[in-house]
Amino acid sequence: MLNVHSLTKNYGKKTILQDISFTVSPGEIIGLVGENGAGKSTLLSIIATLTKSSSGDIYFNDLDFKKDRKAIRKKVGFVPQDIAIWDNFTVEENMVFFEKLSWEKKNNNQLKQLCLEMKLDKWKEPAGTLSGGMKRKLNLAISLIHDPVLLLLDEPTVGIDLKSRIEIGTYLKKLAKESNKMIIYISHDMDEITSLCDRIISIGEDPFYQEILQNNGKEILSF
Amino acid sequence: MIAIFKTRLIHLRKHIFSFIFWLILPILATLFVIYLTDKLQEDSKIPIGIVLEEDSALSNDLYEVIQENPLIRVYDVTEAEARIKVESHELDSAFVIQKDYEENILEGKRNRLITSYRSDMSFAYIPVSEMIISYVQQETGRAKTALTVMNLSENRANTWTADEIIAKSKEIQEEENLLRTSFSYQKTHQSVDEEKESLLNNWMLWAIFSVLSTLLVSDWIIKERKAAIAVRYAFMKYSLKSYMLQNLLLYTCAFFLMDLLAVFIFHFLLDEPISLQLILSLIVFRITVNLGSFLFALLFRNIYFYYVISFIISLILAILSGIIIPIEGNVTMLNPIHAFSQHSLLNPWLFVFILITVIWIMKGESDA
Repeated sequence: MLNVHSLTKNYGKKTILQDISFTVSPGEIIGLVGENGAGKSTLLSIIATLTKSSSGDIYFNDLDFKKDRKAIRKKVGFVPQDIAIWDNFTVEENMVFFEKLSWEKKNNNQLKQLCLEMKLDKWKEPAGTLSGGMKRKLNLAISLIHDPVLLLLDEPTVGIDLKSRIEIGTYLKKLAKESNKMIIYISHDMDEITSLCDRIISIGEDPFYQEILQNNGKEILSF
Repeated sequence: MIAIFKTRLIHLRKHIFSFIFWLILPILATLFVIYLTDKLQEDSKIPIGIVLEEDSALSNDLYEVIQENPLIRVYDVTEAEARIKVESHELDSAFVIQKDYEENILEGKRNRLITSYRSDMSFAYIPVSEMIISYVQQETGRAKTALTVMNLSENRANTWTADEIIAKSKEIQEEENLLRTSFSYQKTHQSVDEEKESLLNNWMLWAIFSVLSTLLVSDWIIKERKAAIAVRYAFMKYSLKSYMLQNLLLYTCAFFLMDLLAVFIFHFLLDEPISLQLILSLIVFRITVNLGSFLFALLFRNIYFYYVISFIISLILAILSGIIIPIEGNVTMLNPIHAFSQHSLLNPWLFVFILITVIWIMKGESDA
């Protein structure tokens, strides 16, 4: 379980995140919404151990984010908003490249299977020639090579077609339920958020998102 | 390390030809420049014609002396050809070694031993003819001395022949040459044989090209740091810094293998000697250049700006090396390849680069 307690982040005198507390259980998908600049990506970055919080505590099971960053990173899968793949490599080369640097060893069949599960079947195609949707799938697949327990996704479906978006959403739901992964998901697409996530965290002072999310039957936490 | 090697192979497969090109560039460029300067030197030699009217030891000696002069290119011609070629300015001048040259020399005769042809365009006639005359005078003087010695020793039991005396005089000339020039590079004790003098220092030239190729190959540092991918290394077995340092080691090894190839190629083609000192200084040079290029590339985000600066750096190093214009004094110490030019194992730049690398690594540890 991920336990975030009284998390605060300041940049100089400016407070970006204040007193954020929530938990994520295995198999649960949490949506993070809020206006631009509200601090969603900062929160995700702190949970990914890429940024330090100003105060507050985060625990991942019995691991303390202040002391056990390296151990936590082994269990975290981070899907950056920018597509982080080698455009001049094929899908296969991308997967093999990152597998070689990964904590987990997987053979080519396992890597190919991982791609096929999210309907990424252009194994020998150069990544640069793939559609936006396929690139996003590859971006996600690379983050899953080391079989992380906690998956953090920063707008993983931005700018892609509906079909790919649904395929990615379906895959993530399956991944959370069948493999007990904890998923934290940032998106501006409210339909996607409400259909995919078990709970939603709204960050920022603008009540817009809270109003939209009312009456959808999902638990909403506001900070 | 094997994992890093495999990831590097995936990268290199995408631009293997350009990689190999940059690896072999220092060798090819050095050989090309050496060939070009030799060719220019050859083309700038003064063309003269020699007509040999007799085949004797002394006439052949004179012919060889003229031929060995590094500023002269000798053509064997007949007297008729000599006239035509001098007239058409194909030859600067022509010299006929007359029949009975040896006999006349041995008899101490000094007139009409050589006939010369020149034109109004024979710019080098005077120095060339002076050179030939001085040699002929040397031979006539030697012969006269031999005759004198023979006359003096007529009444002694132990008499020498003229040939023996001439041979002895040559031996003395070799041992006690009146005019002998030897020089050495600054702060070295090894003198350079005049005959082996070359316009360019082969290894220094190679080192300049090697620095350029290392800088250009090091563009991977900018490409792979700049990529959005860099964030992924936080969740991998290897941090970005560890990945880059291990790749640096792989590149250094690849370059060093090419350095060894250069040692053998230069040995066979340019008669450069192979020694343990050279190999060890190459190791120091390779680590210095690769580490320096690595640190230098870390300063850049824009790859095209990096390429431009790399060429400028190489040009500056070439100037500091004295290849383009002669430079002396402490300014040469600013050149990271100065130590290699002297095959020294102590390069202060290496220590500077190692220190900066250690600071860079430690800074990374605290950031991570």
